[in-house]
Amino acid sequence: MANVLDLRRRIRSVRNTRQITKAMKMVSAAKLRRAQERAVSARPYAAMLASVLESLKRRAEIYDPETGECRSPLLLTRPEQRILLVVVSGDKGFAGAFNTNIIKAATNFIQENDRKEIDVEAIGRKGRDFFRRRFGAAQFGQDGTRGARGGAIEVTGEHTGVLEKLSYERVREVAMKIVHRYEHEEIDAAYLVYNEFKSVIQQRVVVERVLPILQLGARQITEAHELTTEERERAAEAALSAGVSLFPKEAEAAEKQLENEAKNFGTAEVDYIYEQPAAEIFADVLPRYITSQLYHATLESVAAEHAARMTAMDSATNNASDMIDSLTLTMNRVRQAAITKEIIEIVSGAAAI
Amino acid sequence: MATKLKVRLVTPERILVDTEADAVEIPGKTGYLEALYGHAPLLTEIGAGMVRLHGAESGEESYMIARGFAEVLPERVTILAEEAEKPEEIDVMKAQEQLQHGEALWNKAGDDPAKYTEANEVMAEANAKIEGAGKK
Repeated sequence: MANVLDLRRRIRSVRNTRQITKAMKMVSAAKLRRAQERAVSARPYAAMLASVLESLKRRAEIYDPETGECRSPLLLTRPEQRILLVVVSGDKGFAGAFNTNIIKAATNFIQENDRKEIDVEAIGRKGRDFFRRRFGAAQFGQDGTRGARGGAIEVTGEHTGVLEKLSYERVREVAMKIVHRYEHEEIDAAYLVYNEFKSVIQQRVVVERVLPILQLGARQITEAHELTTEERERAAEAALSAGVSLFPKEAEAAEKQLENEAKNFGTAEVDYIYEQPAAEIFADVLPRYITSQLYHATLESVAAEHAARMTAMDSATNNASDMIDSLTLTMNRVRQAAITKEIIEIVSGAAAI
Repeated sequence: MATKLKVRLVTPERILVDTEADAVEIPGKTGYLEALYGHAPLLTEIGAGMVRLHGAESGEESYMIARGFAEVLPERVTILAEEAEKPEEIDVMKAQEQLQHGEALWNKAGDDPAKYTEANEVMAEANAKIEGAGKK
């Protein structure tokens, strides 16, 4: 059996680890709260954008009345040969199965579409590292033209550090690139893989198609993986101990009202004066809709990442506590055994005299 | 004075302004327009420029906005803009950089009209920022 000194040292080390994981948990909880607030405050814009598109669609004559041709390149569908897959993962680890789940969903998607050419656009360091190692990056010439394909799957872009300090500008750049590539028929479809986040206990990894837009306002989720009941319980427990509410403030009446108003944006039952032709406004707004979707995905993914880290760190803290308990128990036992042994020695020594 | 207009300026990140004003100047894509209470319903795209609120609660207010559109209803004006800043928050250095970037784009555009449009937009935005900076 180990001696008391060794055990004491180990307990101290585990206690230090617990301190760190506890601190990380609290930090993640604080970041999660902020991420949630940001997600809520970003909602009116997204809702307004969707509703104005909805109302414009009715007047914009998307299809040319004479030739029946579609006027917006983003609404055109083509047979899916080349797919762009945007993978939104985290920049850092220590978040339980968060990154693994996303990578798994993305890999599944790639396997299901193994006959097609897939370009991977990675947002977040973890996803980039994985896909670059596995498939290799695309080669670009000096003037930006793309070299020959190395394989059916290549990483065409990586965006690390976007998530750390999320700004609309950065996301816009990514989205515009996607829209540009779609318009120039470099890709036939664009999918998003990310972790959707409604609340701590309501989240899932989804694969969502963003391009082509088949129906405005309707989300095209092709695949979704819910949390298991067990994971959900763990997450709820962690949130409770970190003081994060399970239901973000969205339930509040004021927020609701705002959302309703947002839905009515641009849809009043009147004939608007259009400064520009409706079709022109429509064409300008469509790319913004894609950007807004991508921004929304990154916002939720960031919130989900913090939530996952908080849960993981809560588990780690609990495990450390358990370990300290069992180590303390062993230590006391060893100490007592030593004392007993000494007493026996003294007593038998005295008896011998 | 007639009743006041409800004015809301919304960016992707948050609702920047939610207030009431007598009149709003909006930088439409094809020129500035001013909306008063009772204006006919109107939908317009926004060019880079300043939004001015006249007779708001805290007096005059102005914001630099770019890329977006505005809805005018008789009793309400809602502006959606991808970019919105207060004049005192504008980073002139950054705007200068953006202007140079725009010029570089223009020079590189070759004969692709879409690229010229893009360069023009970047430059117009930068110019609006430089002009609006520090002004009240």
